[in-house]
Amino acid sequence: MSNPVLIIGAGVAGMTAAVELADSGIKTILVERQETVGGNALDLYKAFPTDDCFYCFEGNRWRPGIRKCFYRSALTDQPNISLRMNSEIGDISGAPDQFSVKLKVGPGYVNPKKCTMCGLCLEKSEAFRLLSPQCQPQAVVYDPTKADDGAKQAEEECPTKAINLGAQPTEETVQVSDIVIATGYHEMQPVNVDEYNYGKHPNIITQLELAKIIDPIGESGGVPVRPSDGKPAKRVMMVQCVGSRDENYYPYCSKICCIFALKHANILTQERDDVKVSVVYMDIRTYDRYERYYRESRNTGVEFVRGRVSLIEPRKDDTLDITVYDSLLDKYLKFSVDLFVLSSALEPSEGTDKLIETLGIKSTSGFVGMVDPASENEVVVGDHIYACGAALGPAEVPESVTQARAVVSKILQSRK
Amino acid sequence: MDDNKSAVLICTCGKQLQLGFDFLETQVKKMDLATSVDVHDLVCQEEGLPKIAELLKASSGHLVIAACSSQKIQPRIDQYLDSKGLDSSQIQYVNIREHSAWVHKDLDEANQKSVDMIRGTLARSAKSTKRNIEQKEISTHVTVIGGGIAGVESALSLSNLGYEVSLLEITDELGGHVRSLPVVAPTGKSGKEILSSRLDMLQNDNNIIIMTKTRVKYVTGEMGNFTVHYTSEDEEERTLNTSAIVLATGFKEFKPTSMDEYRYGKNPDVITQFELSCMLSEGKLTRPSDDKPIKEVVMIQCVGSRSEDYKKDCSKLCCTFAIDNSLEIIERIPDANVRIVYMDIRVPFENEMIYKESREKGVDYIRGRVSMTWEQDGTTYVRVYDSLLDKYLETPVDLLVLSAAILPPDGITELSETLGYAIEDDGHVKELYGKLRRNETRRRGVVAAGGVTRPQFVFEAVTDAQAGALIIHNELQGGKIESVSRGAVLNADDCVGCSLCAQQCPRGVPLMIEQIEDEEADEEQKILFKATIDTLNCHSCGVCQSLCPSGATQLNFLSNDQLWSEIEATLEDAGPEYPITLCFYCEECSVSTIDIVGTRKMEYPANTRLIPVPCAGRVSIIDLLKAFEHGASTVMIAACEKDRCHIGGTGNEIAQVQVDVARDILNAIGWKGERVDMFRMFSAEPERFTNAVNEMVKRAKELGPTPVHEGTAGKWMEVTE
Ligand SMILES: Cc1cc2nc3c(=O)[nH]c(=O)nc-3n(C[C@H](O)[C@H](O)[C@H](O)COP(=O)(O)OP(=O)(O)OC[C@H]3O[C@@H](n4cnc5c(N)ncnc54)[C@H](O)[C@@H]3O)c2cc1C
Ligand code: SF4
Ligand code: SF4
Ligand code: SF4
Ligand code: SF4
Ligand code: SF4
Repeated sequence: MSNPVLIIGAGVAGMTAAVELADSGIKTILVERQETVGGNALDLYKAFPTDDCFYCFEGNRWRPGIRKCFYRSALTDQPNISLRMNSEIGDISGAPDQFSVKLKVGPGYVNPKKCTMCGLCLEKSEAFRLLSPQCQPQAVVYDPTKADDGAKQAEEECPTKAINLGAQPTEETVQVSDIVIATGYHEMQPVNVDEYNYGKHPNIITQLELAKIIDPIGESGGVPVRPSDGKPAKRVMMVQCVGSRDENYYPYCSKICCIFALKHANILTQERDDVKVSVVYMDIRTYDRYERYYRESRNTGVEFVRGRVSLIEPRKDDTLDITVYDSLLDKYLKFSVDLFVLSSALEPSEGTDKLIETLGIKSTSGFVGMVDPASENEVVVGDHIYACGAALGPAEVPESVTQARAVVSKILQSRK
Repeated sequence: MDDNKSAVLICTCGKQLQLGFDFLETQVKKMDLATSVDVHDLVCQEEGLPKIAELLKASSGHLVIAACSSQKIQPRIDQYLDSKGLDSSQIQYVNIREHSAWVHKDLDEANQKSVDMIRGTLARSAKSTKRNIEQKEISTHVTVIGGGIAGVESALSLSNLGYEVSLLEITDELGGHVRSLPVVAPTGKSGKEILSSRLDMLQNDNNIIIMTKTRVKYVTGEMGNFTVHYTSEDEEERTLNTSAIVLATGFKEFKPTSMDEYRYGKNPDVITQFELSCMLSEGKLTRPSDDKPIKEVVMIQCVGSRSEDYKKDCSKLCCTFAIDNSLEIIERIPDANVRIVYMDIRVPFENEMIYKESREKGVDYIRGRVSMTWEQDGTTYVRVYDSLLDKYLETPVDLLVLSAAILPPDGITELSETLGYAIEDDGHVKELYGKLRRNETRRRGVVAAGGVTRPQFVFEAVTDAQAGALIIHNELQGGKIESVSRGAVLNADDCVGCSLCAQQCPRGVPLMIEQIEDEEADEEQKILFKATIDTLNCHSCGVCQSLCPSGATQLNFLSNDQLWSEIEATLEDAGPEYPITLCFYCEECSVSTIDIVGTRKMEYPANTRLIPVPCAGRVSIIDLLKAFEHGASTVMIAACEKDRCHIGGTGNEIAQVQVDVARDILNAIGWKGERVDMFRMFSAEPERFTNAVNEMVKRAKELGPTPVHEGTAGKWMEVTE
C-alpha cells in the first residue's frame, strides 16, 4: 500500500485536493495551522464570479449535489482524510515518494468529533468561541489566554466531555508519498506604505477588512460602517495596486484585486443603502468575463479616477480628506470620505519561503514556482511535490479548485 | 413487524435543547406510524451510534432520527452503520435543533412544530424503499475533440489514467494555435518547443489513436455509451463508440473586417496579433504589402473586445500577447518603433514584469483610441487620440497590428444540439457552475477543456485538461461503475412519450427511444417513443418527476406518494386558527441557509413547517396544490440563486415555472395567487430566509382562511388524486 498524501493548508484548494483524493480511495493527511478550515475564504462573504457564498467547495461524490458549504463538508468524518488542525509542518526529510515529515500539532482543547455545538460552554465562559457558523470542524474553539472559572465549569459539564483544558501540544512524524502545497496567500498589511497611513487611522482599511464589515454575519449586520465610531459609511474610496506593481514592495500584479474591489463597490452601491464609491486606479484589470463587474460598476455610478492619491488628511469628525492627482484631467481633485479602502497586494502566506527552501523547489516572486516552465505544468513543482491555489500566485477560487483537481489528476496518473 | 411503521429516535443534544421532550415523546407515541419512541441524549456520539444500529435492526430499516442538521450527522451515522454492515438508505432525518428549538422562543410552539415535522417525516419513512448498490460495466474509451494543447494534454492525461483515447482533429496537424506562438509567456519558450515533448509522448502512446482531418458531425447516446458520428478526408460518415467526450476545440481570433476604422482586410499591412505571431514564428518580418523593412509598428488593443457591438468582455490574453510580440519585434529589429494604443493594460501576476521590461526597452504606450486608418501615397497612416494628453496624433505605420478579440470556435453551437451542453451568452461552452465546476458541462459525460470555455493562457489550458481528465475518471471509474442506485426510476409502461423529461432534465439523462413495433402494428395506439433513464447517470433532482404528466418517472427515495403523505401528515393540525406556512426547501443552498439561521439563532415565526426536497425542481404544481388541499395557508419554495442551482443550473428555474403556474391556477379559482411564492437564498445571507419566511407568514395572516379552511373549496382537489 502506498503512503498517504500530505496536503499543507486547508483553504479551498487544499480541501478540494483532499476530498477528491479521499474519494478516489487515497489516504490523505490535511494539515492546517488555523483552528478551522477554509482559509481566507471564510472571511470573504461573497465570491465572484457567481456572487454567492465564499464558503463553498466541492462536496463529496457520495453526497448528491455538486457543492457543499464548509460546515457540511464532514471533513472530520471522512474515512480517508486525517485532518490535523492547529498544526504546523516541521522538518521534512527522506526521498520523494517516501518523505518523512514532522508535524507539530497544537493543543487540542476541544475534541472536534465530540463537540456538538450545544452552546453550554459558550454561556459559561468567554474563552470559548464559535469562529464562524460555517467553521469546519463544527466545534467551538478555546482561547487559553481567557481562561477563567467558567471554563473549568464548562470542562466538567460539557455533555460530551469534549473539553480538555490541560491539553498539550504534540509532535509526530508521518511518512508520505507526495506533498501538496496549498498554503494560499496573505493580504499584505500595508503598514510600511507610508503614503496611505494604514494603521494610523481606523477608517483606513484593507479590502479584506471591508469584506468583513459588509458581511451580514458581522457585527453591523452587513451595514458598511466606519470602524472609528460604528456610524454608517456613506462615502467610500478605494485605491488600487497598493504594494503591487511597485518596485518597493511587489513588482507583480496581484491579478484579482481589481475584480474584488469592484465586487465590493457593486455590493456597496447596489445592495447597501446610499453609499457612494470612488476607485483610484492605474489600469482596471477585470479580465475575461469579470469585465461585467467593471461595466456594472460604471453603470451604477461608481466613480473612477485614473491617477494616484497624493495626500490624506484626517478630520476631527473622523472623515478623511483625500487629494488625488487625476492623470486624465491633469488636475488635483479633493474628496472627503468615511472609509478609505486599500486594495493591498496578495503575498505568499507566512512560511512559504521556508517551505520552498526545505523542499528545494523553485520560487516565483516568493510563491511556489513550477518545476519546469517549458512544460507549462503549473501544478507540478517538484518530484512528488505539487501545488495548487494561491500558493502558486494570486488566484481566484475557480482557478484554485481547477488546480487542485489537476494535482489529484497528476497524483492518480503517477500511481497507475 | 409492520412494514409501514418506523422507530423514532429523538435527541436532546446533551440535554441542552430547549424542547419539551416528554411532550414530544407522548405525542409521537400516539402516532400510528411510530413503532417505538426513544429519547436519547447524544445520538451522534459513541454512545448514540449503537442505539441507532439497534433500532435500525429492530425496525428493519425504517427509522426516523429527530436531532440536529442531517448535514452534520448523516455522514458519521452512514459510515458507522456501513462499518456494521447495516443499510442506512431508508433512515429519514428531521431537524428539531437548527430548524426548531434554536429559532423559536415559545416552547409550546417549538414543541408543536417539532411534533408536526416528525409526523410528516414518519409518513415519508413509511413508504421508503431500500436502495441497493448497482454495478455496470462500460467501455473505457474516451473521445477528445480538438487537437490543440488542451486536447493533447487531455489525451495524455486520460491515457495515463488507463483509458483508450481517440484524439480527433479537424485540420491535418495537431497543436492548434500554440504551434504558431513565437513565445509563450511566462516561459519564454516557443510554442513549438512546448508542444514537442507532448507530441512525442502522443506518438509513443499505444492507447491513443490520433485522427486528423476528422470532423465530428453529431453524437448520439449518453455517458457510458456515446456514438460519435464523424467524417474523414474522404467525406464518408463513420462512427465511433465511446464512454465520454472531452470538448477541446479551442478558440478563434476575431477577424475585424467590419470595423472600418482599421481597414483590416483591405490594407495588407493591417494584420491581427495572431497573424503577427505566425509571421514571427515563420521568421519573416517584413511589410506584407511590399516586403520592405518594418520600422513603425502600432498595435491596437481591445479590437472587438470590451465593446458593446462585438464582444462585451475582455479577451484576457491579448495584452500579454501584444507585449510578448513587441519584445520579439524589438529583438529582431532593434531600431523598430513599437507603440501600443490601449485602454487598460491587463497583464496578470508576473506578466506585469514583462510589461515593465517592454517599457524599459522602449515600447511606447499610448492610452487612447485609434479613430481612423487610411492610405496616402502608398503609406498607411493612423490617427490616434491620446486621452492622457487629450490630443490627436497622426502617424505613418509600416505595420498596424490589431489585438483582435478571442472568440469561441466555429461549430460548437451545432455540436451542442446533440451533445447537449449549454452555451454561454458570449458563445463559449457554458460551465456547469462558474465558481467550482468549470470543466463540466450541463451534459453528464461531456467535459470541456481549454479555450472552448473562455480565453486561457497555455498553462491554464494544460491545468484545465488535467483537471478535466479527473472529472471523466470520476464519472467512468475505470469502466466499472459501482454506486448506490439513488435517483429517478422510470416505469416505461406509464410513459406517454411526451418527452418533457428528456427536454428538461438539467443533466440530459433521459433519452427518448424509438419503440420497435415487434407486435402487430396497432393503428390506433401509436406511441413511437418512450423515455429511458439510467438511474446511475441521474443526478437525483426530481425535475423529470415534477414534470411527468403520468408519474412514470419518480425518484426512488422520494416518490409522489411519499411526498404527498408527508405533506398531509405535516399539516394535520393546520387550520384557520393557527395558519401554517409550508416551506419546501432544497437540500443544497436552502438547507444551509436555514441551518445557518439556526446556528446563529435568528428567530422567525414558529407557525412554519419545513419539508426537504433534493432540488426545488422536484416540487410540482400538484405538490404545491396538495399543500393547500391539506390546510396550508401559504406555501413557499426555498431554492438556490438564479443560475446557481446545484444540479445543472436549471432545476430551480423549473421550480419557478411550477410556482408561476400554481399562482395562475390559484388566481383563476379565486384563491389568491400570492399564497404561493419562491425565494432564492444562499448561506452567506441568512436573512434571505428569515425575510422570506416572515413575508409568507405575514401573507398567511393577511389573506386569512383559505377555501379549504372555510369548506368552500372547489372541485380541483379531485383532479389531483
Ligand atoms: C479581498 C479579497 C476578495 C476576494 N474575492 C474573491 C472572489 O470574489 N472570488 C474568488 O474566486 N476569489 C476571490 N479572492 C481570492 C480567494 O480568496 C482565493 O482564490 C482563495 O481563497 C485561495 O484559496 P487557497 O486555498 O489557495 O488559499 P487560502 O485561502 O489562503 O488557504 C490557505 C490555507 O493554508 C493554511 N496554511 C498556510 N500555510 C500553512 C502551513 N505552513 N501549514 C499549515 N497550514 C498553512 C492557511 O492557514 C489557510 O487556511 C479574494 C481575495 C481577497 C483578498
Ligand atoms: S459544551 Fe461541549 S459539546 Fe457543547 S459546545 Fe461546548 S465543547 Fe461543544
Ligand atoms: S487583454 Fe487587454 S487587449 Fe485584450 S481585451 Fe483585455 S484589455 Fe483588451
Ligand atoms: S432526477 Fe433530475 S437528473 Fe435525474 S433524470 Fe430526472 S431530471 Fe434528470
Ligand atoms: S415526462 Fe414522463 S411521460 Fe413524458 S416522456 Fe418522460 S417519462 Fe414519459
Ligand atoms: S452550497 Fe452552501 S456555501 Fe455553497 S453557495 Fe450554497 S449555501 Fe453557499
